[in-house]
Amino acid sequence: MLVKTKYFGEVDLDENKIITFDSGLMGFEEYKKYAILYDKEREKGVISWLQSMDEPELAFPIINPLVVDKNYDPIVNDEYLEGLGDFEDNLLVLLIVTVPEQIEKITANFKAPLIINSATAVGIQVIAENADYKVKQPIYDALRKEEA
Amino acid sequence: MLALSRKLNESVVIGGDIEITILEIKGDQVKVGITAPRNQQIYRKEIYEQILKENRQAAEKQDQPQKIEKLLHHQK
Repeated sequence: MLVKTKYFGEVDLDENKIITFDSGLMGFEEYKKYAILYDKEREKGVISWLQSMDEPELAFPIINPLVVDKNYDPIVNDEYLEGLGDFEDNLLVLLIVTVPEQIEKITANFKAPLIINSATAVGIQVIAENADYKVKQPIYDALRKEEA
Repeated sequence: MLALSRKLNESVVIGGDIEITILEIKGDQVKVGITAPRNQQIYRKEIYEQILKENRQAAEKQDQPQKIEKLLHHQK
């Protein structure tokens, strides 16, 4: 299917790549269908994009938390994950990245990870109970290290 | 907003499957107990609003791929 995207123009997307967030993302509850878009050439696969299927202008930069913190381990109420179905080894954890005017101040939202069951293609944004996880966790230094 | 007065250990029921009970009243602090369907996410409003604001900020920028490219390229 052809999908209009914020950053990549019109993209031909396999329908089984569409991830459903039944509750949407916080503040974006009305948008429930997304796909993850990669641009390996330009961003070397470090940052990818969660693109809304309903609204071309809505896309979030996302990152694998282990790239910036190999000990990232959010504590999440198991009951919130029940809607994802049986996940076993299919759990995908991603963080939303905020890119401010000053790129050095780039942050990832450690406090509210996206948790996706890649087998059922259902996802949820939850709030981690870890007291030390920040909504704006600086990741510039970690990104530099990763690329070095 | 609907305002209801409740005493200690009294409850309100919302939509048949959510129940909020006043568990403790101590000075200016009230402890409430919430019974809700298991998958219903319940958070303190301050933290929920922080996440909401952060999500909006993350989504609003127009030139992010260029910025990120610059960041990663710069590091080489």
